[in-house]
Amino acid sequence: MNDERPALSPAFRIASIAILAAVTTVLTRVVQIPTVARGYINLGDVAIVFTALTFGPFSAALSGGLGTALADLLSGPFAFWAPISLVVHGLQGLVVGVIAAARPTNIVVRIIAGVAGMAIVAGGYFVAGGFITGWGPSLVDVPANILQGGVGVVLGILLAIAVARAYPPVRQWKW
Amino acid sequence: MIVDFYKTGSSFLHRFDPRAKLILLVPLFACFFFRVPPSVLVPYCCALIALVAATLGPGELLSPLKAIGPVLVLICLLTPPFHRTGTPLWQVAGVVVVTTDGARETTLMVLRFLGITFGFFAVVRTVSPEDLVLSLRWFRLPYGACLVVLIALRTIPSLVGTWHNVQDAHRLRSAGQERTRKRRLSLGAYMPLLTSVLIEAVKQIPVQAMALESRGYGRRTHRTSFADLPTGPRALRDAFIALGIAMLFVAPAFIPW
Repeated sequence: MNDERPALSPAFRIASIAILAAVTTVLTRVVQIPTVARGYINLGDVAIVFTALTFGPFSAALSGGLGTALADLLSGPFAFWAPISLVVHGLQGLVVGVIAAARPTNIVVRIIAGVAGMAIVAGGYFVAGGFITGWGPSLVDVPANILQGGVGVVLGILLAIAVARAYPPVRQWKW
Repeated sequence: MIVDFYKTGSSFLHRFDPRAKLILLVPLFACFFFRVPPSVLVPYCCALIALVAATLGPGELLSPLKAIGPVLVLICLLTPPFHRTGTPLWQVAGVVVVTTDGARETTLMVLRFLGITFGFFAVVRTVSPEDLVLSLRWFRLPYGACLVVLIALRTIPSLVGTWHNVQDAHRLRSAGQERTRKRRLSLGAYMPLLTSVLIEAVKQIPVQAMALESRGYGRRTHRTSFADLPTGPRALRDAFIALGIAMLFVAPAFIPW
């Protein structure tokens, strides 16, 4: 099987977004550390940062938004967060990918990109949560979201490097 | 891990048109943000809770209540300090703890969170993944986007299986090195797990792409559909019922309270 097929074919893009969205959903749902207001912190940000650094901003935006939205739907009680997660994490993936694309192999740029994504997630959920649960409870969740984002940045960067080394064809799949 | 959000059933809500249910989420969400007295939202909340109990069973109430319980407590504790206008209701050592405005705002927030949670819970648990995708197609979401959702939903269970297999393999590999079995892995210990799972996942991408191309994805020929949502009198009846319910949700916004 030829693993070096062009990454611009529509079927490949569909497949990559779908499978990366599934990865994001699984990592969001498999490891869950409960918090008070938002529900849980998880490894979903790891998947989004990994996707942004490896597959590019558009893959990360679409798969990150869809994956976290599906995870919220699967959670049951927190299903109403799905549209909010779709937008917030989609934006996170897009911003991380766009900033990292400026200097793809520079670790400092990657960290800056990850931090920008963290700010979007923490700010986005703070604003959305402020309208739904009130500003007080929403503020309580900001440190947890920042912690989740920080873990996502560190592990996401490390995984992008590790997977690219262990499976080199993935380096040609950025779009 | 739950890999499906749908609970099988034959209640009237299960049989209600999925397109109408999804559209109703918009006025449902909006009605809890209107500036109305809390007493107006109480019947809506009660109706949504009763709907979940009637269509999914009383046992299904426990899951959302357990999940949102801590949030409700947090709302009750943290909302009054941010709304200190109005007549003091409760003072401790001369310090105003709760005022009328604080109590009103807290009640509104609690009802809002309860109503939105149970409303979305009722709809999500009674719409199957197939109906969800067909509804999105009916709403003119592009075919490619619907295909992405379908493939993602189908891939999730196998990825969960991959995760558990890789986790067991790593556990077996390190069984001789650890004296005590740790209940929870440290975050660093997730690195080899995540690397293995991610590689297994990305290897599926070209295979999936090949499968799509071999099934004709990208061709210009007319596309048929294995299944479709019902049309006709029943769908029309559900549409009128949904319109009536939407008007009920939106009506409080037009009444001068």
